[in-house]
Amino acid sequence: MNRIVIGRYIPGNSFLYRMDPRTKLIAMILLMVGVFLIQSFLHMFVALALVTLILVFGRLSVKRVYLGLRPLVFLLMFTFLFQVLFNRQGELLYSLALHYTILNLSLAFMVVLLWGFTKRFIRFRLLYFLGAVVGIFALLHSISFGVVLGEGTFAVYEQGLSTAFFIMVRLIIIITLSTILTITTKPTDLNLGLESILRPLRVLRINAEEIAMIIAISLRYIPTLLEEANKIMLAQASRGVDFQEGKLKDKVIQVVSLLVPMFIISFQRSDDLANAMEARSFVPGQERTRLHILRWSKLDTVALACTSLALAGVVLLRVVGW
Amino acid sequence: MNMIDIENVSFAYSGKVEALKNVSLCVRKGEWVTILGHNGSGKSTLAKLIVGLLKPQTGTIRVDGVELSERTVYDIRKKVGIVFQNPDNQFVGVTVRDDIAFGLENLQIPREEMVERIERYAKRVDMYSYLNKEPQALSGGQKQRVAIAGILAMRTEAIIFDEATSMLDPDGRKRILSYMRKLRDEGVTVVTITHDMREAVQSDRIVVLKDGEVLKADKSENVLKDKETLEQSNLELLLPLEVLHGLEKKKSTNEELKEFLWQLSLNG
Ligand SMILES: Nc1ncnc2c1ncn2[C@@H]1O[C@H](COP(=O)(O)OP(=O)(O)OP(=O)(O)O)[C@@H](O)[C@H]1O
Ligand SMILES: [Mg+2]
Repeated sequence: MNRIVIGRYIPGNSFLYRMDPRTKLIAMILLMVGVFLIQSFLHMFVALALVTLILVFGRLSVKRVYLGLRPLVFLLMFTFLFQVLFNRQGELLYSLALHYTILNLSLAFMVVLLWGFTKRFIRFRLLYFLGAVVGIFALLHSISFGVVLGEGTFAVYEQGLSTAFFIMVRLIIIITLSTILTITTKPTDLNLGLESILRPLRVLRINAEEIAMIIAISLRYIPTLLEEANKIMLAQASRGVDFQEGKLKDKVIQVVSLLVPMFIISFQRSDDLANAMEARSFVPGQERTRLHILRWSKLDTVALACTSLALAGVVLLRVVGW
Repeated sequence: MNMIDIENVSFAYSGKVEALKNVSLCVRKGEWVTILGHNGSGKSTLAKLIVGLLKPQTGTIRVDGVELSERTVYDIRKKVGIVFQNPDNQFVGVTVRDDIAFGLENLQIPREEMVERIERYAKRVDMYSYLNKEPQALSGGQKQRVAIAGILAMRTEAIIFDEATSMLDPDGRKRILSYMRKLRDEGVTVVTITHDMREAVQSDRIVVLKDGEVLKADKSENVLKDKETLEQSNLELLLPLEVLHGLEKKKSTNEELKEFLWQLSLNG
């Protein structure tokens, strides 16, 4: 649990910590828009380097943040492979003849089985997975004798590769930016910032304060709910329910036996919470004073100017068409 | 002058379960009253009615002379605070500081005063060094102390504790009892709801509820000694009082007394 960096505040001290949450939110949005407008490899690399520089100057551990992306590696790989395999526009860069024979298909099947059974004993699972994929392609390419069921090609096209690259780097940058935001901003401040940014939506009859309150309370109760789920699972386990093994039907029963008490407890909890809030004079939509107030400083003006300039630069590059 | 006046109040949940039947009682200003009753006797229902979280089907409730209605309920909540049973389900803030601030923000207390009150009442419940902690980092007793600080900071004239100690260990319970004593000494009206006799001992007056009806309301001493009433409402006499009763029934020889005490401790 402690390894997950995404979405967590980690106390520290740097200009990122001193910035107003509003600045950080707006800057993040501006930079994200910028990243979507970039169209050249070079500029993309520059953007990635700049984001890394923010981490370095913000005294955040680059390693920690990028290691924090690990849970998303499979998502990133999947989008990458999907683009590479199915996007067939542009110049053909590489092609590999594949033969589907009974022998190599069954060998490939065995590789999959072997991978499935042994992966839990291997330390570098990602490398192991890649190795297995490459192995299968090598098999399909090199063995062409015996009963041939069909022929095919594995082809990589220029567009597929570049789209895959852009999507992946964009995702990495966006996730890194939001990680920076959550690492350096206390949930209370983040919420206050969000509320203050959403306030103009009042013209559309959207109550920013209520939204912020909902978010704050959800954030407040997520750890409690997880704790509760854990307790229920322990209780069920002590009665012989095994959450790891079992057939699909058993699994469904297990999940239901977790969800039902969770729902009942949550209803009770929200009822109690609503009572406690009302009893403490909370009236939805009524004016309240605030313990935390946001302070705009010179740093914020500078930071916002810099990010606006960056975005303007990207827009300019796009218009000029470099 | 009465702080809380309840007259012929009846309440039924969703029109079916009769939780309170024609209940009348009063709590004087500065008094410490215990509402005693078994599980499901309607204690929490009564507490929620007083702060206007529920609406009685019949009868009237007056707080500090003002009749509770949709119009007056917000003013009444400024006069009567309530601490609930489950410390986990009343922690609103992300940190202890934010949680104590919640009520003050609702009362639109200016920021400087808010800061001052938060620190003072956090100290009062010995949670000052925890101000920046998140609820996950606190024990049940500590969370309950934060809840109390949150109510104290609102400076209500009366505080209701609805089984506020029932989920705590003996140590946490003693601590909260000491806060209640201190509050009474300061002239705050205290209403404690409990089925624990040890909590009832210290209050001025006890109201016994049974199945939604007031069985007895009298000075604590008289209620605590009243074996019949307590047994009728499934409550137990305090052990020393039980011994006293035994003695009064002329179990005078040493041997008989020993045997009697042994039987008592076996019955728990
Ligand atoms: N939300 C509800 N809906 C329906 N019935 C309810 C509800 N809350 C309580 N009751 C019923 O009303 C009666 C009184 O409940 P109440 O919670 O006031 O009792 P209590 O004296 O506080 O009990 P405990 O000691 O268990 O807290 C009980 O019979 C209970 O089942
Ligand atoms: Mg109750």
